[in-house]
Amino acid sequence: MKRFGWRWFVVNSMVVSVLVATSAANAETRPQYGGVLHVAMHASPTSLDPADRAQPDSFARHSLTMLMFDTLVTVDENGHVQPSLATSWQALAGGQRGQLRIRRGVKFNDGTPLTPEIAASSLRAANPSWNVAADADSVVIDISDQNLLEQLALPRNAIAKRTADNRPIGTGPFHIVDWQPGKKLALAAEDNCWRGRPFLDAVEIEMGRGFREQMTALQLGKADLVEVAPEQTHRVSLDGRRLVSSNPIELWALVFTRAVASADEKLLRDALASSVERGSMRSVLLQGAGQPTASLLPNWMSGYGFVFPADADLTRARHAREQVRTIPTWTVGYDGTDLLARVLVERIALNAKDAGLWLQPTSTTKADLRLVRIPLVSSDPWIALAGVATLAEISAVKNPGGSVEDLYASENALLAMQRVIPLLHLPVSYASSPTLKNWGLRPDGSWALADAWLGIDKP
Amino acid sequence: MLHAVYNSAIPNVFTSLVDRVLRSASSFRIVVPLSYLLLGMAFAAHAADWSGPEQQLAGKIVAVTGPGAVTLTAENRSSLGKRDSEVIQNGLRSALGGLGIRFVNAEQAAATVVLSLSENQSSYVWVAQIRQGAGEAVVVMVSAPRPEGSTATHETVPLSLRKISLWTQDDAILDVAVLEENTVPTHIAVLDAEKVTLYRWQSGKWQQEQALGIVHARPWPRDLRGRLVPAKDHLFDAYLPGVVCRLAAGAPLTLNCRETDDPWPLVAAGLSGGNFSGFPGAGSTPTSVSPLGAFYASTRNFFTGVLTPGISKSTTVPKFYSAAFLPRDKYLLWLFASTDGHVRMVDGVSDQVARLDWGELASVKTACGAGWQVLAASSEGTGDSVHTYEFPDRDPVAVSAAIDFQGGAITALWTEAKGDTAIAVVRNRETRSYEAFRLAVVCSQ
Repeated sequence: MKRFGWRWFVVNSMVVSVLVATSAANAETRPQYGGVLHVAMHASPTSLDPADRAQPDSFARHSLTMLMFDTLVTVDENGHVQPSLATSWQALAGGQRGQLRIRRGVKFNDGTPLTPEIAASSLRAANPSWNVAADADSVVIDISDQNLLEQLALPRNAIAKRTADNRPIGTGPFHIVDWQPGKKLALAAEDNCWRGRPFLDAVEIEMGRGFREQMTALQLGKADLVEVAPEQTHRVSLDGRRLVSSNPIELWALVFTRAVASADEKLLRDALASSVERGSMRSVLLQGAGQPTASLLPNWMSGYGFVFPADADLTRARHAREQVRTIPTWTVGYDGTDLLARVLVERIALNAKDAGLWLQPTSTTKADLRLVRIPLVSSDPWIALAGVATLAEISAVKNPGGSVEDLYASENALLAMQRVIPLLHLPVSYASSPTLKNWGLRPDGSWALADAWLGIDKP
Repeated sequence: MLHAVYNSAIPNVFTSLVDRVLRSASSFRIVVPLSYLLLGMAFAAHAADWSGPEQQLAGKIVAVTGPGAVTLTAENRSSLGKRDSEVIQNGLRSALGGLGIRFVNAEQAAATVVLSLSENQSSYVWVAQIRQGAGEAVVVMVSAPRPEGSTATHETVPLSLRKISLWTQDDAILDVAVLEENTVPTHIAVLDAEKVTLYRWQSGKWQQEQALGIVHARPWPRDLRGRLVPAKDHLFDAYLPGVVCRLAAGAPLTLNCRETDDPWPLVAAGLSGGNFSGFPGAGSTPTSVSPLGAFYASTRNFFTGVLTPGISKSTTVPKFYSAAFLPRDKYLLWLFASTDGHVRMVDGVSDQVARLDWGELASVKTACGAGWQVLAASSEGTGDSVHTYEFPDRDPVAVSAAIDFQGGAITALWTEAKGDTAIAVVRNRETRSYEAFRLAVVCSQ
């Protein structure tokens, strides 16, 4: 005591607070190996082949693909392309050809080595229109697409080796143990993964589960990672659960099934677009989730989304409607299994009625326009815009130069066709158990679970 | 072809900030003292050169409006700070003025320009919405690259733990060894997943001397760990999972790696006696601690728990991440941070378990307090920190406040060769880069 005197007293006083702080601390500074991660999801994919275009694109499908497969490159959260199965790349032939050098020493989950030939074959299967060839230690792709690297980062372009019975095998951190299409997928850690064995021993995924059922499973400790419906995110966060949301990467929009046929129809579509109260849809029906929008791309992706006014303008809507003599009744389709979609469509019909328009909600497949959820397949704005155009069955997006102003012009041109009325941009959200550590979402909304681990429950 | 470029490259011209401020000051007839004040403020900020995109956007605006009277309003929708936002607005006004634009009230203006400083995931996006008369707005825009961020500092307390930054890099640092030092380190070795790199402090900066590749056949496990340990007959050994590399002296230096599961030493080389050619002060301490090795799981991130030669008769403990020891009169008290989250205290006779919520551990011998302390890392919500502890009996007593790492995650904590300091490697959660610090206990202030 004499050695430190009063200073020792100060230190001891400090010790109390430090010990208190320590008791609230968390020892798990280092990842732990082992454990089985239980995941529940709403989607029910029936194929795990990344190149299978018969399956609808979804965030769940992206997540599953990236557990078992790798792409040649990836895109980080800043939109920068990073090496993955390709270690380097260069443009050839004046930009008409891309050469990507394949990483050496990588093996598929069945032990066979990754070769440029297999990579080229995989890309050809995913993109029949591409001209892809192996060249020594590289693959060479004849394509003038300015976003080739970003295209290659898409899960559908993940590299797969196909077996004699056409089963795809990947180089990813997990391999398939049990696959019951649309119901259940069991994966085991790949010990020889080129990025290192994942910390988790296994991942078990239950498919086709409703949001409420998923949340119950989380509460009962039967699931570690579940999806959260947009309108439930606020309540889940209030409950103190760990909630992870992506950037807004899903566009909810009204999509007309055919092109504008007359000047009158053009005015009526303008009236409908101006009548929708997106703000109240967000605040009331979605409990504050998402962002009202009149643009196809979210502002975080384009930087100019605010230029398109999303506020309802009933005066403009009525003015446009009053220029048309005959007002048809449009049927508005929605997914009959989606309660939120029905409520949203009913609200849109009420807004339209205020503007003097007549909308008839229907859950049948035949309708004049439909409420659709369009996943933005990439964080690259050009690819995302092209994806929206494809899903909305509009003409292909031109890619003249890649400047932000060109992007704006392309988006403006798509909107001017009046096939799509954007409503909201929504994030995808997940709730996880407190034991699940170090997991996150990729920029495309898919899970990043290779570095996730399960911690020890606190007593 | 392979990269999206939103607008033509902005020339890498670092126009003097003095020129920038004086230029804007001149435009607005700001008096000279104020321009000096602005100059100082601008230097204090992380100034960036926005003149390229300013000129581009001004050109696009004038292409729509032509020279004449406009009114300009601006809003910042981005993460830009107020000062940067103002600098950009002033720069744009100046560029527009140079192209024949006069700024007037809205009533007198032929055009209205609404400037929005926005951003997307990769760059800033500046948008001008131009209205002339009752027509639809014309929208023009440019993008500007986002500059890198910066970090802050921290404070210390009496009987404190201090950190000294040694090295930063993007690749994960596994360990850093100080090979030579005067009052500060002048020669270091940095171990990462693929190489050992030697750097020497020359002409006021670290300069790379040599990079020696690590040869390994199997993929490294995730959460890779490694350690540099001084050797008696050569410079040092690099221990990695399933691989040990020997750095042999000579010109040039050579690194020979072999696949092996040899145990990793747990006692700092300088504390177990002997002479070491490379590490300053290693082996010079009068204290001699019995060496102890532990086998490392070559496909995981922990030690198997098998010890050699053992603690008295105990040759196994539960698998652990990290270990430290405290000399007692007649024995060593060993602390193991087990993978189950507990700390086990083993002295060869007893084996006690404590729930201390500690992660990485390192022993340091100092002139403070009991002479030996344990540094322990823990995670407290936003980031990891390190405390210094003593063990009067078997209960730890913190003898320093925590040293934090600005939200970073501690990925390694190893006692240095001499035994009186430790190396902490921290992953910065924002920049994703790795920084190695030397941690030293400061006894009296």
